[in-house]
Amino acid sequence: MLEMLASQAVNGLVLGFLYVLIAIGLSIIFGMLGIVNMAHGAFFALGAYLALMLSNQFGWGAALLAPIGTGLLGMLVEKVLIRRLYGKEPLLGLILTFALALLIETLLRRFFGGAAVPFSTPKVLSGFFEYGPILTTKFRIIVLCVTVVAMVTFWAFISFTPFGRIIRAGSRDPEMVGLLGINLPVVLNFVFGVGCLLAGLAGMLAGPLQTVTPTMGGPWVMPAFVIVAIGGLGSYPGAIVAGLAVGMVNAMSVQFAPDWAGVAMYALMAAVLVLRPRGLFGEKWERFE
Amino acid sequence: MSDDSTTASTGLIKPGFSLRRRSVLLGASGLAAGVLAKPYIANAAAGEPIKIGMIWAKTGQIVAQAEYLAQGGYIALEQRNNMINGRPVEIVWLDEPNPQTAQQNAERLVSEHKVAGIVGGALSSFALAISSVALKTKTPYVAPNAAASEITGSACNRYTFRLNPPVPVHTNVLAPYCAAMGKKWYIMTAAYAFGQDIKKSFTDYITAHGGTVVGSDEVPVGAPDYSSYILKIRAAKPDVVIGGVSAGDLTTFLKQWNEMGMRGKIPFAEIAVGNTDLWGVGPEAADGLYTITWWYKNPNNTPEDKEFAAAYMKKHNRPAADKAWMGWMGMKSMLDSIEMAGSTDSAKIVQALESWKMQRGDITAKYRTFDHQMENRLLVAGIHEKITDKWDYFDVKAELPKSAADIDAAFGTEAAIGCKMGAL
Repeated sequence: MLEMLASQAVNGLVLGFLYVLIAIGLSIIFGMLGIVNMAHGAFFALGAYLALMLSNQFGWGAALLAPIGTGLLGMLVEKVLIRRLYGKEPLLGLILTFALALLIETLLRRFFGGAAVPFSTPKVLSGFFEYGPILTTKFRIIVLCVTVVAMVTFWAFISFTPFGRIIRAGSRDPEMVGLLGINLPVVLNFVFGVGCLLAGLAGMLAGPLQTVTPTMGGPWVMPAFVIVAIGGLGSYPGAIVAGLAVGMVNAMSVQFAPDWAGVAMYALMAAVLVLRPRGLFGEKWERFE
Repeated sequence: MSDDSTTASTGLIKPGFSLRRRSVLLGASGLAAGVLAKPYIANAAAGEPIKIGMIWAKTGQIVAQAEYLAQGGYIALEQRNNMINGRPVEIVWLDEPNPQTAQQNAERLVSEHKVAGIVGGALSSFALAISSVALKTKTPYVAPNAAASEITGSACNRYTFRLNPPVPVHTNVLAPYCAAMGKKWYIMTAAYAFGQDIKKSFTDYITAHGGTVVGSDEVPVGAPDYSSYILKIRAAKPDVVIGGVSAGDLTTFLKQWNEMGMRGKIPFAEIAVGNTDLWGVGPEAADGLYTITWWYKNPNNTPEDKEFAAAYMKKHNRPAADKAWMGWMGMKSMLDSIEMAGSTDSAKIVQALESWKMQRGDITAKYRTFDHQMENRLLVAGIHEKITDKWDYFDVKAELPKSAADIDAAFGTEAAIGCKMGAL
């Protein structure tokens, strides 16, 4: 039983970390830009397709460029479309990003077809990983390591660099940051790009584990929204704690209450929101009150 | 009276209006033209397009199969030059992201688009939702892909026709092969009608044949991660795993089954899968034993099947998947029946569907009168040891049931099915 619990816990953590990557992207885009990005799942799919295309052409190493490509596309989208929404009715952002999601899906369908395309784990990373009672796969361990490195890097960047300080200040009071002479549009463009990069990274890592279709982002984005709600909108530690909690709740409910596996994370969200309506780490943000 | 003008002071012509001869001639010509053109105007009304509703998913986990189902439907229409009895025919294709929207879109097709019939419902839950609209609005409906028993069983109705054999027929074809591999089964199915049907029918089979179910799970539709389920299966040490997750979910499961090193260690079997489910898995991870409804390389394919396969290849530059054939066959039966009915009257189309037939080798494919279920054979297929052609994954082992009498027995009698059809 110990072996089963340990293995379920590790696989739950891997799932949770992938959710965290998506949720952090959603969270920082909302925190800085005030936009609920309904196209986040489409950027996730875009990351998987870019990784697939690059790995088919140049090998798996090249697939690592896929998140950067997704981030650059995100910056382009922000420059062309998203920035027109700043300071406007929030509903407009929802509608535009929803339309953007449909557009990206349609483009993927146009170029790759609607049917699933094969995308496997690299051969060098196939096979089991056993450590004591823990049983998982090499690829999942790599997923775990990559997501942890990505999150630590992003946290360090936000916390310790001058640009990170501007981002944090801009998320609280963008007008003041602008008045200080800082080129806020450049900052916002960068933040949207980073959010998309994280979605693309999650797509690249999840692609070999699931069906790669233009609509593949759907099942991943819903838990990400749940994580953002549980962790607190705009909270970085909140997204991490909530993401891991959702991953673990999913894994353990499959083991101990399989009939409840589909609703377990929603039950967790309901319980947290009843106790803390702003989420676990949510704070009062004047901008959004 | 002047030769070239008349002044009228009564009737429709206002006082002071000068009615010239040229105007009279023009008016008379107009009237004559109207009378002469009347039959053509009437024909133009008759020449208005007949609309056929098509509801296949454009989003969600079944979208890969739905694309092929839709393509098959369009080919059925193109093969008759988009015409029925001299009238143009149009397909109106709406989405089915979930059962509620499938139902709403079926209602839209009937009320807004005035369709003569509907073809669609990629998942059983969608087909059941559309079927309820078919009954309420008295609209002929063909469900080519859905396999849950209720559709032509307890939830059957006079307006609904189904092409895919129901789950118990698939089960009775595949289960003996599974039992030959061992009698300890683990059943992992989707948490909706199709999966629950599979769970019941395979459990019934193995318990009746002296085996046991060592574990079972119902998985939410669209689950992105199966690792927890796979760890449970691994711990239960079954002889065979019976799957009941459909389309994109099956693709995801098989990728993770391979990734976790289970491929080839415990046999996996599932009914009613599609080529697209396996094509998405890739040659490295594809595994299992399946039932499929059609295979483009089957030497027993009829001339019509071959003509369809050639048309599909010509249009899409790839072999026709079984789902494309199902979409084609379902749409063809609907179009043929509208032609036979000679009108878009729903009662006449239903009667035509009830008498529609197609010779398929030694058997006649038709919708049975008492439950509107089409009888046909199934193929039992494994996966090639080495896949060299990216479209050719299936290693077909048998085409069953063998005789026409066996087919009748497999599909069940009127009493066993329990369908209460109702009047038109």
